[in-house]
Amino acid sequence: MSTTPLTPEIVSQEGNSMVLSMGPQHPSTHGVLQIMLEIEGETVVTAEPEIGYLHTGIEKNCENLFWSQVQTNVERMDYLAPSSNALCYVLAVEKLLGISDRIPERAQAIRVLQAELTRIASHCVQLGTHAIDLGAISVFFYCFDLRENILDLQEAAGGARMHPNYLRVGGLNGDLPDGYVARLDALIEKFPGRMKDLRGLLQANPIFQDRTIDVGYLSPEDAIAWNVTGPSLRGSGIAYDVRKAFPYSGYEQYQFDIPTRTECDAYARFLVRLDEMEESMRIVEQARKRLDQAGPVAIDDPKIFAPPKETIALSMEALIHHFKIVSEGFRVPPGDVYQSVEGPRGELGYYIVSNGENKPYRLRTRPASLYNLQALKRMAPGNLIADLVVQIGSLDPVFGEVDR
Amino acid sequence: MPSTQTPPIAGTAIDPPSLRPPIDDALIERVAPSELLARLTALKAEGYSMLLDLGAVDYLGRTPRFDVVYHLLKMPTAAASVAHVGTPTRLRVLCGVEDGEHLPTAMTLWPSADWAEREVFDLYGIVFDGHADLRRIQMPHDWEGYPLRKDYALRGPARERAPRPAFALKSNVQAGIPPTGRTLEALQEQIKNAGDAE
Repeated sequence: MSTTPLTPEIVSQEGNSMVLSMGPQHPSTHGVLQIMLEIEGETVVTAEPEIGYLHTGIEKNCENLFWSQVQTNVERMDYLAPSSNALCYVLAVEKLLGISDRIPERAQAIRVLQAELTRIASHCVQLGTHAIDLGAISVFFYCFDLRENILDLQEAAGGARMHPNYLRVGGLNGDLPDGYVARLDALIEKFPGRMKDLRGLLQANPIFQDRTIDVGYLSPEDAIAWNVTGPSLRGSGIAYDVRKAFPYSGYEQYQFDIPTRTECDAYARFLVRLDEMEESMRIVEQARKRLDQAGPVAIDDPKIFAPPKETIALSMEALIHHFKIVSEGFRVPPGDVYQSVEGPRGELGYYIVSNGENKPYRLRTRPASLYNLQALKRMAPGNLIADLVVQIGSLDPVFGEVDR
Repeated sequence: MPSTQTPPIAGTAIDPPSLRPPIDDALIERVAPSELLARLTALKAEGYSMLLDLGAVDYLGRTPRFDVVYHLLKMPTAAASVAHVGTPTRLRVLCGVEDGEHLPTAMTLWPSADWAEREVFDLYGIVFDGHADLRRIQMPHDWEGYPLRKDYALRGPARERAPRPAFALKSNVQAGIPPTGRTLEALQEQIKNAGDAE
C-alpha cells in the first residue's frame, strides 16, 4: 500500500503487473463500487476498493432532524433491510429515554416479525443477484417472487413497499391491518416449497459449486481481525450473532439456531444464508402465534408517543401533545448509548449521543457492509479476477450503508 | 469566504459518560492520547479481538474538542457454538483529542481500523500517525473542510456559484425571441441558405 492512490494506467512496473480500474459502473458490483486492481496476468495482486460514490451525508443530516424524523432517514441506509435499521435506531433511543422495559408485548412481537421478514427479503436479493453474477438467471425470479410477497406485507403494515417507516420510538405506527395475518399465513405456507426450489436450483448445481467452493477463503482469525460479522463471519465458523449474544426485543424467548459453516468460502456463506432464511421463518412462525393476543402497540406516554389521532377532536390535552410532538419533537435526556441488532449483513449498530435537545447530537452508524467489504482487501489477493465477482457477491455489500 | 448560512447551534458542550452511569451493557474507559496505543495493545492482549467500530464526536466548545470512540468486543477467535461465544464483553474506549492533535493508528492491532480511521480523518480532520494510506474516503479527494464538524454548516460553506443558464424572459417570449437570440425566422433562413449552398 502506498500513500498515493492507485491510478488506472497500463504500465509495466516490476514484473508484469498492471493497474486496472473495475467499476464504478460494473454490473457485478451491486452498486457504485470501484476497485483499483493491481493484477499480474489474471491474478489479483492487490485490490483497493474505492467507496464514497453514494455518500449522501445521512449522519450529518440526522444531527439536524427531530428524533422522530431521523428514523425516516436511517431506513435509507441499508435500503434492503429498512426495518432492521429502524429497529436498531428505536431501540437505542428507547434506551436513552429509559422506556425500554415499557414497550408492549405485541409491539415487540411485531417488531421481531418485521425484522425477520426483512432479513428474508434481503437474503432473497443477495441470492438472486449472486446467482445472476454466476450466470444463473432464473434463480433471480424465484427470489424476487418471494421478496415481492414480503414487500406486499411491508406495504400493508407501513404503507410503503421499500421503506415502510412502520416502527416508532415507543412502539409502532399502528396495529397491523385487517387481513394481514391471513396473508402472512399464506406466505408461511408457501415458503418451504420456495426454499426447496432455491436449494434445488443452486445447492447441488455443479456450475454454482465450481464457482463458489474454495473461492473467497476467509479464515476465522482474519474474519475477526477484519471485523467481519453476520453470515460472512458465520460462514467462517464463528457462531457470533447479536440476537443470541445481546438479545433485544425479546429474542431470548424465541427458539432458533445459528447456522454456521467451517469451510470459510463463498459456498459456505451461501449455505449459511439459506439456512438463516429458514431459521428466520421459524421465528416468523413463533411471532405469528403471538399475534393472536390483542393488545396495545405503543406505550401510553403522550410526551413521547402522540395519542391516537381520533382523540384530537375530543380532548384538548391530546391536541396539545400532538402539536408539541409534531412541531418540536420530544426531548431525550443527555447521554450516549451503543445499540446493535443483527441485520441481514451483520452487526448493525448505532452509537448515539444526546445532549438533551430534540435532535440527536451525534449519530454514528456501525455499518456492517463497510467492514465486510473491507475484508475484500484480505480476500482478493492471489485469486483470479473472475472470482472477485463471487467474493463481492458473497460479502453482500449494500452501498447505501457503505457510503451513507 | 463568509458563509451564507449561520453554523448550526452546537448545543451545550457535554461529556456523556460523566453525566450518569452507562445505560448500555458496555464498559466505558477514558484514555489520554499519549497512552492510547499502549492501552489498546494491552486490551488486545486481554482478549478484545474485535474492533467493532471506530467513530468520533465533535463537542465544539469543550476541551479537548473531539472524542474518538473505539468500540471493542471480547471474542474468542475460535468460537464454533453459540454457547462458546456466550455474552461477549463490550468496551468503549473514549479518547479526547484537541483540534490538530494526532493519534496513533490502531491499524497495527486491528486491520479493520483502516477505513474507519480514514473516515474519521475525512469527516473530522483528525490525523492518525502511522496509517499506511490516510486519505479521504467518503468525500471527493479535493474537498475542503471536514463536514461532520459542528462548525460546518449543514449545506456546506458558500462557494462560487456557477452562472445561471439563460432562461427565456417574459418580454422575449412575448416578442418571440428565444434566450439565445436566434429567432425562428433566422433559423429557417439559415437552413434555407445551407440548402441553397448544396
